Amino acid sequence: MNAQQPTVPAADEATGTAAPPGPSAAAATPAGRLRSIGAAWGPAIPLLMLVGACLLGPAIVLVAQTVWGANGFTLDNWRKVLGQASNQDAIVTSLELAVVSATLTLIIGSPVAWLISRMLAGRRAFWLGLLNVAANFGGIGLAFAYLATLGSVGMLTLVIQALGIGFVAPRSSSFIALLFAYEYTNIPLFVLLTIPAMGILRDDWWEAAQTASATRRQFWRRVGLPVLTPFLAGGWILIFTWAIGIYGIAYGLAGQSGGTAVHLITLQIGDSLQSDVLFGPARAGVLAVLLMAIATASLLTYRVLLRRALRWF
Amino acid sequence: MTTIAAANRPSGSVRGRPSPTRWAQRLLFVGLFVYFLLPMVAVILYSLATRWTAHILPDGYTLDWWSRVFSDPTVVGAFATTLVLATLTAILDIALVVPAAYWARVRNPRIRPVIELAAAIPFALPYLVIGFALLQFAGVVAPGLQGTFPLLVLGHAAIAFPFLYWAVDGAMAAAGIERLSEAAETCGASPFQIVRRVVLPNIMPGVVSGALLAFATSFGEFAMVQTVARGVYTIPIWSAEAIRSYSGETGSFNRLAVVTTISFMVLFVLSAIVVYWNRGQTVQLLPGARAIEQREGK
Repeated sequence: MNAQQPTVPAADEATGTAAPPGPSAAAATPAGRLRSIGAAWGPAIPLLMLVGACLLGPAIVLVAQTVWGANGFTLDNWRKVLGQASNQDAIVTSLELAVVSATLTLIIGSPVAWLISRMLAGRRAFWLGLLNVAANFGGIGLAFAYLATLGSVGMLTLVIQALGIGFVAPRSSSFIALLFAYEYTNIPLFVLLTIPAMGILRDDWWEAAQTASATRRQFWRRVGLPVLTPFLAGGWILIFTWAIGIYGIAYGLAGQSGGTAVHLITLQIGDSLQSDVLFGPARAGVLAVLLMAIATASLLTYRVLLRRALRWF
Repeated sequence: MTTIAAANRPSGSVRGRPSPTRWAQRLLFVGLFVYFLLPMVAVILYSLATRWTAHILPDGYTLDWWSRVFSDPTVVGAFATTLVLATLTAILDIALVVPAAYWARVRNPRIRPVIELAAAIPFALPYLVIGFALLQFAGVVAPGLQGTFPLLVLGHAAIAFPFLYWAVDGAMAAAGIERLSEAAETCGASPFQIVRRVVLPNIMPGVVSGALLAFATSFGEFAMVQTVARGVYTIPIWSAEAIRSYSGETGSFNRLAVVTTISFMVLFVLSAIVVYWNRGQTVQLLPGARAIEQREGK
C-alpha cells in the first residue's frame, strides 16, 4: 500500500542478477532482452496475466462499451441511463445510504476501536474474534439473519410484541432495515481497520499532557483527535465505498417486497442484467462505470489521507 | 498499551463515585454484544424450531429440518459446487501468488508496486461490477467461456488474491525471507530446494491463513456467481432463490436457517483458524493496517 517503505536488502543484488553477465551484448538482441525481462518478471507473470484478464481488461472493455455505439463515440447511453427517474433515485438513495451508514459506523466504531485497543490481552482477543466473525458474516446469509431477527416473524419482533408493545417490523427493503443490516458488517470492519492506528497514539503523550495539567478533554481535543482524524476519515471513506457496492444483502432484503423495493445502484445493475438480456448490459454498464468512478476517487482519497497521516511518524 | 485505561480507572474511584464514562462504556459493549449475537442465535433457533410465529421462543424443537436439508439433492449439490469452487480458487491463488510475492522480495522489487496496485482493484470495486465487467470482457474475447465454471474460478481467484498476497507478503517480511534465501543460495542450494526447504516452511502460517481467506471469499460470494455464471448453482444462489420465493409456506424459512447456520459455521471455523494462526497480530489482512505497523517498526 505504501510506496516508500524501506528498500528491500535484495534491491542491489536484483539489478545485478536481472541482467546476464554481459548486459550490453545481451540486451542488444531482442531475444536477450526478452530473456532478461523473463528473469526479472518470470514467476510473477501468471499472476499479472490473471489480473490483466480478469480485472484490468474487463474494466477497460466495460468503460469502452458505455461510450461506443454503432457510429463510434457517443454519450447516448449515459444520457439515457442518467435521465431515467428510477436510476436517478437509485443513485441518490445509494449515496444517502452509504453516507449515513459510514457516518454511523464512524460514530460507534471509533470509541469501540479505541477501547478495544486499550483492553487487556484476553478481553481484546475475545472482541477481535467476535468482530472477525461478524465481519465475515455478510451477503445473503446476513440478509436471512436480519429477517430471522427483525422480519415480520423475527425473533426480536416477537419479543417486542410479547412485551405488549404494538410493534410493526420495518419493511425488509426499507432504508432503515438496510441500514441495520449494513452496520452489522460495517462496524466490525471499521473497528478492525482502525485498531492498528490507535496504537499510534502513544501513552507517553497522555502522561505528558497530564504533567502539563491538561484535562482528558483537552488531551483529546488538542492531541488525540488531530492525530487520529486522518485514520478515522480513511476508515469512513472505505466503509462508504464498500457500502455503495453492497449487493447480496440488499438483494436478499429487497426480495420479499417485490416491486416496492428500494432503488439502489447495485440492485438496478442486477435487475437490468436479469430482466433485459438485450439492452440490459448497456444500461447496467453505465451504472457499473459510475460505481467504478466513485470507488477509484474514494481509493485515491484514502491513499492521500493515509500518506498524510503517516507523515507524522 | 493499557496504561491509559489503567490510569483512568483509579482517577475515577479516587473521586469516590462510579464514573459515568465507565457505565457508558459498559452499555456500549453490552449493546454491541447483543447486536452481534442476536441474529446468529435467531438463525440457529429457527433451524431447530417446529413452529415459531407467535411466542418469544419456538413452540417446539426438532432436527427434522436438518435431516431434510441433508437429504435434499439440490442443497447437497449446491454445497458440493460451492466447496469445489472455493477450493479451486484457493489452490489457484496459492499457485499464482506465492511465486510472484517471492520474486518481488528476492529478485525484482519493481514487481511489488504493480501487484499492490492490482490488489487495490478488488479491494475497492464491488464484486458485482467486477463480475459484470468480466462477463462483458469474455463476450468480446472468448464467448465460449461466458457463463462457465472455469471463468467463475478465474474470477474468484482474481478477487480473492489480495487476501493471500497480503498474508503471504507479511509472512515473508516476518521471516526475513531475503536473508534466508540468500543464505541458502550461499550454501549451494538449488532454487527448487530453496523454495521447498527454506521458503515454504517459513511462510506456512501466511499461506494457510491467506488461502483460508481466499476460500472464505469464494464460499460466501454471491454477486459474481450470479452475473458471471448463471448456470452454476452455489449455496448463496440457493439461499437467494429461497428468500425471494418465500411466501409464508412452512419449512422454507427453517431450511434457509439450516443452510445459513451451516455456511456460517464454515466461515466461523475458517476465521477462528486464521485468528489462531495470527495470534498477537491484530489484522495483517488489510493493507492500511500493515503500512501502519511497518512504520511503527513492529
